[in-house]
Formats: sequence, C-alpha cells, structure tokens
Amino acid sequence: MKIGAPRETHKGESRVAMTPKSAQELRKLGHECLIETGAGTKAGFTDEAYREAGVTIVEDAAKLYETADIVVKVREPKDEEIERLSKGKTLISFFYPGQNEALLEAAKTSGATVIAMDMVPRISRAQKMDALSSMANIAGYRAVIEAGSNFGRFFTGQVTAAGKVPPAKVLVVGAGVAGLAAIGTSTSLGAITYAFDVRPEVAEQVESMGAEFVYLDFAEETKDGAESGGYASVSSPEFREAQLAKFRELAPDMDIVITTALIPGREAPELWTRDMVESMKPGSVIVDLAAEKGGNCKLTVMDEKIVTDNGVTIVGYTDFPSRMATQSSTLYATNIRHMMADLTPGKDGTVVHDMEDDVIRGATVTHDGEITYPPPKPKVKAIAAQKPKEKVKEKTPEEKRAEEKAAFAAQTKSQVTLLAVGGGLVLFAGLFAPASFMQHLIVFVLSVFVGFQVIWGVAHSLHTPLMAVTNAISSIIILGALMQIGSGSAFVIILAALAVFLAAINIFGGFLVTRRMLAMFQKS
Amino acid sequence: MAYGFTTAAYVVAAVLFILSLGGLSGQESAKRAVWYGIVGMAIAVLATLVGPGAGLWPVSIILILLGAAVGYQLATRVQMTQMPELVAAMHSLVGLAAVLVGFIAHIELRRVAGMTPVEREGLEGFAALIAHKDPAELAILRIELFLGIFIGAITFTGSVIAYGKLAGKVSSAATKLPGGHWLNIGAAALSALCLIWYFNTAGLFPLILMTLAALFIGYHLIRGIGGADMPVVVSMLNSYSGWAAAAIGFSLGNDLLITVGALVGSSGAILSYIMCKAMNRSFVSVILGGFGSTGGEQMAVEGEQVAIDASGVANALEDADSIIIIPGYGMAVAQAQQAVSQLVTKLRNQGKTVRFAIHPVAGRLPGHMNVLLAEAKVPYDIVLEMDEINDDFKDTDVVIVIGSNDIVNPAAQDDPNSPISGMPVLECWKAKQVFVSKRGQGTGYSGIENPLFFKDNTRMFYGDAKKSLEELLGKIEG
Repeated sequence: MKIGAPRETHKGESRVAMTPKSAQELRKLGHECLIETGAGTKAGFTDEAYREAGVTIVEDAAKLYETADIVVKVREPKDEEIERLSKGKTLISFFYPGQNEALLEAAKTSGATVIAMDMVPRISRAQKMDALSSMANIAGYRAVIEAGSNFGRFFTGQVTAAGKVPPAKVLVVGAGVAGLAAIGTSTSLGAITYAFDVRPEVAEQVESMGAEFVYLDFAEETKDGAESGGYASVSSPEFREAQLAKFRELAPDMDIVITTALIPGREAPELWTRDMVESMKPGSVIVDLAAEKGGNCKLTVMDEKIVTDNGVTIVGYTDFPSRMATQSSTLYATNIRHMMADLTPGKDGTVVHDMEDDVIRGATVTHDGEITYPPPKPKVKAIAAQKPKEKVKEKTPEEKRAEEKAAFAAQTKSQVTLLAVGGGLVLFAGLFAPASFMQHLIVFVLSVFVGFQVIWGVAHSLHTPLMAVTNAISSIIILGALMQIGSGSAFVIILAALAVFLAAINIFGGFLVTRRMLAMFQKS
Repeated sequence: MAYGFTTAAYVVAAVLFILSLGGLSGQESAKRAVWYGIVGMAIAVLATLVGPGAGLWPVSIILILLGAAVGYQLATRVQMTQMPELVAAMHSLVGLAAVLVGFIAHIELRRVAGMTPVEREGLEGFAALIAHKDPAELAILRIELFLGIFIGAITFTGSVIAYGKLAGKVSSAATKLPGGHWLNIGAAALSALCLIWYFNTAGLFPLILMTLAALFIGYHLIRGIGGADMPVVVSMLNSYSGWAAAAIGFSLGNDLLITVGALVGSSGAILSYIMCKAMNRSFVSVILGGFGSTGGEQMAVEGEQVAIDASGVANALEDADSIIIIPGYGMAVAQAQQAVSQLVTKLRNQGKTVRFAIHPVAGRLPGHMNVLLAEAKVPYDIVLEMDEINDDFKDTDVVIVIGSNDIVNPAAQDDPNSPISGMPVLECWKAKQVFVSKRGQGTGYSGIENPLFFKDNTRMFYGDAKKSLEELLGKIEG
C-alpha cells in the first residue's frame, strides 16, 4: 500500500504526520511512502531527509491524494481535502467525529474509510497509538514553558548575595495527561506545585509527580473516573461551588495557574472566574489549555495572549504541540506507525481492516460508505475499577495501649492453655508409663523446647545451611547402630553395620556441604 | 565406669549441638557453629564407641571411615545448584538407618525374650540393656521402636521421591494414584492396626506389614505434592528424620539420641511453618498436595507481553541509578548466578545501587537463592529479604526478574480468586521498569498466569537466563 502525508493546510500548523524515521519503519511493514514537498519543513524535516529514508516526494497535494491509498495527516481534513478522497482510500488523522457531523457526513459520501486518531480507545494495548495523550503530554510541558517565559521571576526559591527570591507557586487544575506533564515540568523547575482534579483517585498520581493534591472538604460520592474511560465527567452544582470556593481561597497566593480541565464532547467548564483573576497578584500568569473549547477562564481569548487590567497575563494559545513541531511530529508519526502496524498484521504491505478488533473498530468512524461512529463499547474496560480506599485511621495512644494490652492478654491465655494441656498430658502419661520412660520424656520435651527457641533466631539466608546442619546432626542415629553392632547374631551385625555406614556418609557429607556453603558467604 | 564417662560426654555433645544450631543466626557465627556440630558429633561417636557401643568397635571404625570416604566424595563433587537434591537424598539415608536400627531392636528383643534368666546374665551390649527391662518397659519399648520404624520408613521413601523430583528424575507435577488420600489414610489405618497387633504379639509380621505401609505413605504422599512446594517438603522430611531418631532414642534408652532427634525434629517443623507462612498456605494443605481449588473465576489477563532484546535492557540499565534483581528457580536451573554476579560487579563499578530481593520461597529450598548468590561471590549485605526491600520498589528505576514467576505475581494481591491470593509477593511492578528474563511464555510452577508480564512497564527478555545475561554483559561497559 502507498501511504502519503500531505502538507498541513491549517493556518499555523507546523506538524507533519510522517517523519523520515517513521517512514523507514512503515517501509519495513511492506508499505511505500509518499510525502508532499515541503510538508516537513516547519517541523524540521527536509525533503532531502525524506528522500534518504526512501520516501517519494510528490509535488502537490492533488497528486498525493491521487496516488496514495492511505493518507495520513494531523489536523482534521478540510472540505476540499475530503472531496479528494474516494472509495478504497483510507484517511488517518484527528477527526473529532462528535463535533464535526457535517465532516463525517461528507466522509461517508466519499466512500473512504476514516480512522480518527482521537477515537483510539484508552486500553493498555492501544496506548502506543494514543495520539491524544502524546499531544497532551507536549501541551502540558509547553504550558509551563510558556508560563515561565511570561513570568518575571524564577521558579525555584533562591537565596543569593543579591537577595532572597521566593519560589513560584503553581496550581495545575485537571490532572489528566497534560496536567501531569505540567506538574512534572513545574516541579522539576523547582516551583511549589499544587494540583486539583475532580477525580480523587488521581491524587496518588499527582503526589507521585511531586505536587501537592488540593483536597476539597466535600462529602459527595464522587464518580469513578474509570467508568468513563479515565476522563472526567460533569459534577454536581454543590460540588462545583465547593471547588470554586477552594480556588478563590488559593487564587491570591498563586503565581501561575495552568488549567487543563476538559470534559469530552462538551464546552470547557468555567473554573477560574473573573473575581479569581482579579484577586491574583500583578505579574501572575494563567495558561488556559482549554482555550479551544471556550476556556476554563472566561477571560481567555483563543489563540492570543492578553494582559488584564490588574497585570495578569492570560495565555490562550491552542497550538502548543505545533509550537514544538519536531517533538510532536515525531511522537504523532510514531502513533500513526503503530496504528499501521496493527492494520498490517502480516507485515507484508497488505492492510487488513479488522472490524472485530477493539482498537481498530473504535477508531474507525466511516467504513465502506457507512458511518461507524459511535463505536460499540469496547470489550475491555480501560482501567480497572478503583476499589474504594479505606483510610487507615491513626490510632490514638490510648487505643494502641489497649491493643497491646489485649494482645498481651491473648498471648498469656494461649501460653497458659498450652502449658496446662501439655502438663496434663505429661501427668497422664506419668500415671501409666514406667519411671525410666518418664525420665526420657523429660529430656525429650525439654529438647523440643530448646529446639523451638533456638531456631526462631536463625537468619533467613541461612536456612539452607541450617537444613544441611540438621541433616548432618540427624545422623546421630549412628549411636543406635553402634550400640547394637556388637550384640547378637551375624544378621544383626550386618544390618547394624549397614546402618553405621549410611549414617557415616551422612555425617561427613552433611558437615562438608555445610562448610562449603558457609565458606561462600562473604561481606563486601 | 565407662557409662558415667559416656553420659558426661553426651551432655557436652548435646550442648555443642544446641550451640551449633543457635550459631546459625548470623553468617559469621555460622562458620564457628559448624565446628561445634562437628566436634559434638565426634565426641558423641567416640563416647559411644568406648562406652555402650564398644562391641566390635574395629568394624564400626572401618565402616565409619568408608562412609566418610563416600560422604566426602558426595559433598565435594556436588554442584551448588544440586544442593536441594543432595540434602533430600541424605535424609533418605537417615530414614533407612532408623528403619534398620528399629528392626535390630526388634530382633534382639525377640532373642532376649526367648532366653532363660541364666543366659540373660551372660549378655553384653544392647541385648543386656533389654534384658534388664521389666514388662511395662518392654511394652513401651515396642511402641517406641514401632514408631521409629514407621517414621523412618516414611522419611526414606519420601526423601527418595523428593530427591527424584528435585533432580528431575521424577515428574515434578503432583500425581496421585486413583483413590488419592484415601490410600494414605488406608495405609495409616493399617499401620495403626499393626501397632495394636504388634503390641500384643510382638511378632515380626505386623512390623513388616507396617513398614511396607509406611514406605507406601512416604512414596505416595510426596508424589502428590507439586514441585513448587518442595522446600516445605524437604524441611518437613528433615523434621521427620529427627523424630525418627528421637523415637529410636527412646527405645534404646539413649538420651543424646532423644535430645538431638528432638532438636532436629522441632527445627524442621519450625522451618516448614515459616515457609508455609511465607506462602500464606496452611501446612495441612501443602502436605495434602497441590494448590487448593478456589470458588470463583480467576481474573482474565488483558494485554500483551512485549519482548525486548539485550541492547534494550542494557540501555535501560545504563540510565538507571537504582536496580533490584529478583532471582528465582530459573536462575538456578540455568546456572546463571555467575553471570548475575558479574553483571552486578559491573553495574556497581559504575556507581549504581544494585540490590537483590529474595522471596522466602524463591527456589526449591529455603535460602536457596542466598546460597547460589553466595557461591557466585555476591556480597551478602546487598542481598535483602522481602520485608526489607518491598517498600523500596517504588523508588527503583529498574527491576530485573530472573526466572521467578509466582513470587512476583500481582494477582496474589489483586485477584481474590487466584490460587495464590494472599501470598506475600515482591511488589516489583511498582518500579519504573521491569525486565523479566524467562525462557518462554509459559506459566510458572503453579501453572497460573502472571499479570506482571502484561503490565505496561514490563518488558520480556526471552531466552535461557544464562545466555541472556551473558549477552547483556557484553553490552555493558565497566
């Protein structure tokens, strides 16, 4: 099959869906690669580099759409691009079928198969093609960098000869992939980072990235993020109020706020209100990653950077991944390449569009002249349902003491019972057994007791030597054989001699092996 | 006069044996502890030779020397990886010796019983000892020697089967004859009947019948236990050999035998208990063989096992600062401990933190891994137990799992229906990256799927552990 990547026509888009490296990998799958001339220039890949990777350079988009069987691109297609598709061709790109119904209809009429990279289900197996996550990762990183370039201070606190600099305080709202990436970048730059998310189960992830999770004092049964494939869902008005109150309290302290809260298929929720912006210090920065969907802050202007009257900068760019085109193209092209690998199971250049496969089915939005969106629920749930975590209550000293007391009492009780039962048994035996037996019994019981006491202390790593030693020692049975060998008939002598011989093997073998083992233990 | 001396020597020997076992609490004191054991044994044997066992002493000495030669050969030739087999094989010797001693006691008992009082006065050695017993003592004696033979016979066949399983000569799978445990119960009941019969008649026939039944129990019981439970079995047989010695000690009226037998018996029992606890399984269910069946469905494992090659692992190791290695039986099978040791040396020379995490039941013997690593000269202060290291995984860059499976299975914690549910495991999946060196995609000894291999941060490094590691060594500088 011929895979072709056209130049992105969207204004300001610098990414490209194929890199020289991904082209090489695609060719290993048995495909042929085409690219429109200059498609990779803005992402830092020259035509020359593509040519070296064995990619055919095509002079314009029309030619590319004509020759390629599979068109790979980044942005959702424009109308004129859809028109160029026809039955038998496949388009792989971001598509957002939920918001672009007209486009979906147009794709259906064209008869082409469309695979939407944004519809790849969130299951472990499909992570390698999860382009949304790879782009969100970049966006989160870039958001912090943008915030930093608009922020007039250091991120880290420093004590210098020229004075003390306080550390920057960063609040990240929404701890999805972008949010977590932002947290990671921000903490590694040295800022004090706080993070909030409506899904309390992500607190652990937030803390693992080195940020502090902002808990709400709100007793609602929060919905499990796992139900909706790991995305947040709409929250109740009361919850929203509690959340806003918390933000209002934090706002005056924060130097940088990065909002990433998006609910799939909806307008971005307003989380950072006008009065919060007004209460912030001059020079503070807000980066609104939800700008494209109306923004988490209503003051945000899409694709622009504005400064409010009280000196707060609000960054509303929507093209963060495009601003790091080389990096994002590399990742996106790899996602595409993995998708192609799943589509060509034979690695022979033949595409098998398996509609039974959860991942391929989920991402396909039109196929064979029909709209196949929305897909049926995948057979595999994205994330295992979170078990409600039971909070381990800190015990008070009184409780601890009571517990210790109870444990002590239980121990005493079991010991006393054991002693009583054991003693009773021995007494009972003493009633019937002859005195000589009782003498031996005492020796026996004491030895068992000593054995128990001694063995508890043996180091775990020495269990094998212990076994070898006890094995060697158990050949003490030789004493019995020695005592009998001089007594009685020839038959007895032979049997006893055999027993002596066997036990002797064991004595020497056992001790030597133990010595060998122990000689190996060494300290560095 | 001789007997007083013997008793004194026995006291000394008993104390030495106790010190010997107690001394194993630390690596350094253990070296001294073995000498205590050796000296104790020498004193015990010498004291017996000059005292109650003086009859035919030249024969005894010759036989001991012969045994020494064989034992020396065995102990010096054996590979460290074959240690479990050797220990199991040697238990069988003790078991057999106990059976022989028991039978001799019976023969002598019969002979003495048939004598006139005058003849009895002329007896020497062991026979003289029996001759001075009253009827009640003789009755007790019969029970004692019966028990000694019974336990000894079980130990004997059991150890032979355990040896066979560990050496790969017998299938390690848990197999039972038709009838299962009813056969064992039947054989045990038969033995109990024989005890009553023998107690009343003192005939040879019930004794032989019981011995056959006990031999069968030993054989069938151990056949029914899967290879993964062999550490517990070996330690249990160790315990049995001790109890057999103690029972024989009772019948011979020898306090040292009783003392040492009890020491060995109780130590083996505790060791078995410690291991069962480490596997979160009851002793009974181990002995009854196989993994218990559970009610519900096991969680299905989703995802795929992603393979990686040596250079991929090498790159990750170059980048890592902290590394934990989890060895298992697979390392022992592949004899990979030397390669592991070299790898560790190289990585440590680069200034990386490298540690070992040892699960209590890794391998086929308790402490099996420690011995192998020690053989390969891995310093023991970087070899840590599960409890010491389990909390450190989350701060670890790379974990290398070499030939272990069940002990790193997250299903033990996540899946209440898993056969190993509740067993403490090494939580290696919490590390940033996990590499699993494994021969193929098969399941482990317990035959259950391991979700670890399907996790996103796990990469499978397929191939024989030794070859894989040697390939890896070539790619790491230092």
